[in-house]
This record gives sequence, C-alpha cells and structure tokens, in this order.
Amino acid sequence: MLKMTHLSKVYRTEVVETYALRDFNIDVKEGEFVAVTGPSGSGKTTFLTIAGLLETFTGGEYHLDGMEVSQLNDNARSKIRNEKIGFIFQAFNLIPDLNVFDNVEVPLRYRGMKTPERKERIMNALERVGLASRAKHYPAELSGGQQQRVAIARALAGSPRLLLADEPTGNLDTQMARGVLELLEEIHREGATIVMVTHDPELAARAQRNVHIIDGQVVDLAEDPRFHTAYTAAAGQVRG
Amino acid sequence: MHIQPILAALRKHKAGTLLIALQIALTLAIVCNALFIIHQRLAHIAEPTGVDESNVFVIENMWGEQYNKQQAAANVEQDLATLRNLPAVQDATQSDSYPLSTVGGSDNFITLKVDQVEPTTDATVYSGDEHFLHTLGLKLIAGRDFRADEVKDAGQRDVVVPPVTIISKAMADKLYPNGDALGKSFYSMSSTPVTIVGIVETMQRSRLGAWAIPYAEQSMVWPIRDASPLGVFYIVRAKPGQLAAAMQEAPKALYAANRMRIINPKDGLMSFAQVRRRAYDSDRGMAILMGIICVVLLAITGAGIVGLTSFWVGQRRRQIGVRRALGATHRDILHYFLTENLLISVGGIGVGIVLTFGLNLWLVTRFELGIMPLTYVLSGVVLLIVLGQGAVFAPALRASRVPPVEATRPA
Ligand SMILES: Nc1ncnc2c1ncn2[C@@H]1O[C@H](COP(=O)(O)OP(=O)(O)OP(=O)(O)O)[C@@H](O)[C@H]1O
Ligand SMILES: [Mg+2]
Repeated sequence: MLKMTHLSKVYRTEVVETYALRDFNIDVKEGEFVAVTGPSGSGKTTFLTIAGLLETFTGGEYHLDGMEVSQLNDNARSKIRNEKIGFIFQAFNLIPDLNVFDNVEVPLRYRGMKTPERKERIMNALERVGLASRAKHYPAELSGGQQQRVAIARALAGSPRLLLADEPTGNLDTQMARGVLELLEEIHREGATIVMVTHDPELAARAQRNVHIIDGQVVDLAEDPRFHTAYTAAAGQVRG
Repeated sequence: MHIQPILAALRKHKAGTLLIALQIALTLAIVCNALFIIHQRLAHIAEPTGVDESNVFVIENMWGEQYNKQQAAANVEQDLATLRNLPAVQDATQSDSYPLSTVGGSDNFITLKVDQVEPTTDATVYSGDEHFLHTLGLKLIAGRDFRADEVKDAGQRDVVVPPVTIISKAMADKLYPNGDALGKSFYSMSSTPVTIVGIVETMQRSRLGAWAIPYAEQSMVWPIRDASPLGVFYIVRAKPGQLAAAMQEAPKALYAANRMRIINPKDGLMSFAQVRRRAYDSDRGMAILMGIICVVLLAITGAGIVGLTSFWVGQRRRQIGVRRALGATHRDILHYFLTENLLISVGGIGVGIVLTFGLNLWLVTRFELGIMPLTYVLSGVVLLIVLGQGAVFAPALRASRVPPVEATRPA
C-alpha cells in the first residue's frame, strides 16, 4: 500500500539544512494498522505529510498503492488525496465557518459527487461516529472528542483506502481518546489501511505493528540498542 | 460552483460582507448616474450648429452713447457696410443673439392656433437681416431668404412680430410633421400669424440648457434689425482661410468709423471656435469632475475588495490548507474566492440597482435630468463585476498557492 525506500526530506532555511528524514524505509501492507512512535522532532509528522502527498520529498522513492508519486503534478496529487486518503489531524482542523454536515461534505464536493450520494454518505459517516443529530451544529459548539469524531466522519465519508492520523488523540482526555481509537479499530476491521502517529505507548500497543522513528529514520525496536533510552525518554515526555 | 457552502461561510463573516456589498451598491448607483450625466453633458458637445464655424467670428459691440432707435439703426447699417467692405471679409450681419451665444435673444412659445392654450413647442428667435443666412453659412433647403424691404428696426422694448420668418428644419418638422411647413404659418406669443418663407437645414439654439436639449435645433430668424440703444452682435464671415486677418481688421475698422463704442478686449471679439468652447465649458468641467469622482470611487471600492480578501485569505490560511489536504486543487481554491466575490457583488449590485434608479429619479425631479436608459445600469453592473473579479484575483491567487501541508502545522 505504502512503500518508501531510501527516502529523504531536507528542510532548507537560509541558515540551516535540517534532515527531517534520512534513508527512510518503510513498507505498510494493505489492511495493516501501524502505529508510529518516536520522540518529538524525530520526523513523524514529516513522514505522514509525505505519505499523504501533502508535501514532496527530497530523495529516494515512494510508491503509493503501487504508483511512484514523485512525478505526479499538483492536480494529480490533489485527486489522490481526495479519493484514496483520509486525514485525521491532532488539531481536528474542521472549518469553523461551516456546520458539521458541510464540513463532512468538503472532500465529497471536491470529488464532484452528486447531491443525493453526498447526502447519503455524509449521514452514514455521521451515524458511524454517533453524531448524526449534530449535523447542523458548528465546530465551536462541540467538545474536542466530538470534533475529532466529525473529522473522522469527514475522512470516512470518502471511503479512503488509507487513513493517516497524526496524534488523533493528542488533544483529548483518556476516555475520549479511547472512543476515537475504538472507532479507528472498527474502520480498520472493515479493510482500511491505517497509519497513526501517537505519543501514547498504550494506544500504540493496540496497533498491529509499531514503527519507531528516531532522528528521521525507522529503527527496529527489537534490535536497535538506542531504542530503550529514546523510547523511554519520549514516553516520559508525554506523561510528564 | 459550490454556492451553498460559500454562502453558509459568508454568514459567519457578516460585517465584512455587508460592508463590501454596500460599497459596491453605492459605487454602482453613483457611477451609473455620473456616467449618465457625463454622457448627457457631452452628447451635444460635438453637434453641429449649422454655422460655417471655421470662418465665422462675432463682435459684441456696445454703444458708448445713448442712441435713439433711428440713430442706432443707422449706426448698425453703417457698421455693416464698413465690415462688408473689408478685404478679408465675405459678409456681415447683425443680431441680438446667435447659436451657442448663451446670452441675448429670446425663447418663444409657439402655437398653431391663435387661441391655443398649451404651446405646441418653443424656439429661439434670432433677429437677422437679408445677410443673416449667408453670413452664418446656414443652408437654405426650402423657400427663400429675406428681402431687404422685409427687415424692420426694433428698439430695446419693441414688440415686433414680423409677417414672415425662416425656421430650422427641426422646427418645421415639429410644427408640420408631414413636411409641408413652407408657406404655412404659426403664432408666436401674439395674435399676428407668422408665415414660414424659408427653411434652413440646421440652426442650433443660443442656449443649450438641459431642459432645452430635446428642442436643441428649434430656432427661427425674424427679419429685424436690432436697434437697441445698448448694443448689438456683429457676426462676420471671413473669406476662406482669412479668419485671423479679418478678426484683426474688423475692430480697427469699426473704431475708425465711430469711436463711440466699446468692444471688450477680453471677450468682445471671439472666433466661433471660442464661442463653442465657452458654451460647453461648464459641461466639460462637470464631465471631468464626474469622471474623477467615478475613478476615485472605483479605485476605493477595488482597494476595499483587495484589502478585505487579503485579510480573509490570511485569516483562512489553515482552512485553505485543510481544503487542499482534502483534495482541493489550486483552481478549486481560486474559484472559491472568485465565486465568493461574485456572490457578494451580486448582492451589492441587487441593492445598487435599486439605489441607482432611486438616485436617478431624484436627479430627474431635482435637476431635470433624463430618465436613465437600462444600458447604463447594465454597463455599470458589468464594470463592477469585472472590477470585483479583478480586485479579488491577486489575493485569490495567493490563496491558491497555500500549500496543503499548512493543514498539519500548528496554528
Ligand atoms: N517546515 C519546516 N521547516 C524547517 N524544518 C522543519 C519543518 N518541518 C519540520 N521541520 C523539522 O523537521 C524535523 C522533524 O519534524 P516533525 O514535525 O516531523 O517532527 P515530529 O516527529 O512530528 O515531532 P512532534 O512529535 O513534536 O510532532 C524537526 O527537526 C523540525 O524542526
Ligand atoms: Mg508531529
């Protein structure tokens, strides 16, 4: 589904070059649920933005669903984001000017879907996240957990094959976080591939597979001697 | 495109939306009316007077002594003889007024029957002799010129209604639409009928006030020698190409013949080109002023749209990033802002059309302006839509360049 080989990402500012990712290798199979962990600044978000075609990369190769994406133009990338990928962000990223229904509708409109189909998908998605009754509410009128569920509904409505979540529970309390995770697990059981970045080892443990990133590289948790200190440090940061 | 969600989002930005819509409405109302006034003022600026304008000049001759009617008439005849004898002069005549003079002469009501209460129309009266048509270069298209024996002297307050007249074709057509005016008669504020003996192709009126514009070419010449004790206009036609020489000779020759006169060095001697410029001076000034107001207003509205859209784009960077992440293309974002502006414009224009006609109606009753034709409103609408789309384009383009990764960065 998602395969990166020797991928690198360099951020150049006037004074410094930052290697956010270097010699980055990962292979996520269709239908997998992968949790990505790692210390702050290690490159988790960078990995997700490249995986989700939100950003280009500097070197290496990236195959998404069997297709090499580095040569795609902006319109093609937009189309893939729209049709194949669902995003869930830590900050929910709902559009404050639009009500819940209209928020979920956004990606469907960009797909050029007809009104009756849009309506059906939106209501289905909202029912799945248990918020069908809040369709006319505005994001500011919802709790954080509800907002994140709307964001999930928005990601779901387009039936994406790949769901990318960057700390989806980072802004939520434990109970709400658990609810969101259960929702993701349900979506996963129905066949979607999920890649979720999290700082929470408890949540990470519930995924099928854990990928750990340190300093812009994927490290094998079992073999890498650096693992213990780094992992503990990262986990400690979050709990602290 | 996606009108419903754009409208929904605008409801969350009421203040800015209303402000711009209102600005568009006011701009439309003012610009349409201003353009209409400009057009009304300038429409007639190039219209022909019927006069041989490149060779004619006018002398405003004021007597320096209280002459009685006979003396004044004799002086006029003597002066005309002097002028006609000058080498650069083709012909000369006298009158109390002339086309575009803006002063002198009178406007008379015209009736077809002697006991008619409502006038059929009105027309300027020029006093003139048997040299009037030839001197001004007016083209006789039917009938005949005056005979010398038909010309009567008239003092300042004399009411002289002559038995014959030469009228403009416009007036002839107004009185007798069937084209058989020649030989017919009418009444002009007296019970004596006046018979039409000649028709000239074009002869504009002396004053072109807005109220008179529908009748701008209705005028007539009465065979009268202006023996006013105050003064008289001498109208002189130079030989082709000798206007400057004739204008130099004429006042000198007049002073040499009789010093008891005043020809104002400032505007007592004017070529017809100067006459025309003076007649339309305020129109031109008004048109320029209105034009400046329009440009300034449009610029302010355009700047307002640029400003507000830029502000909104800045404010919405993150949601633009989110939209891009969810699959919006550059073009989708560009369209979003163009459509948003179009919707605001359409709202503003809706109100603006009502305001436009309201303002026009007020001007109609207050200043006798005409009713505005629809084409003005249509052009105004097109102008404002183009202005809005143009103004919004740069900020919208900037919005479309917000990268999708903006969605992932902390606010
Ligand atoms: N736009 C950018 N310009 C310059 N440097 C950047 C940019 N984005 C990320 N970086 C750098 O790249 C590195 C990886 O950042 P990234 O956001 O991927 O980390 P992360 O693992 O998501 O961290 P966190 O857990 O704090 O979210 C960091 O050193 C960061 O400073
Ligand atoms: Mg991050």
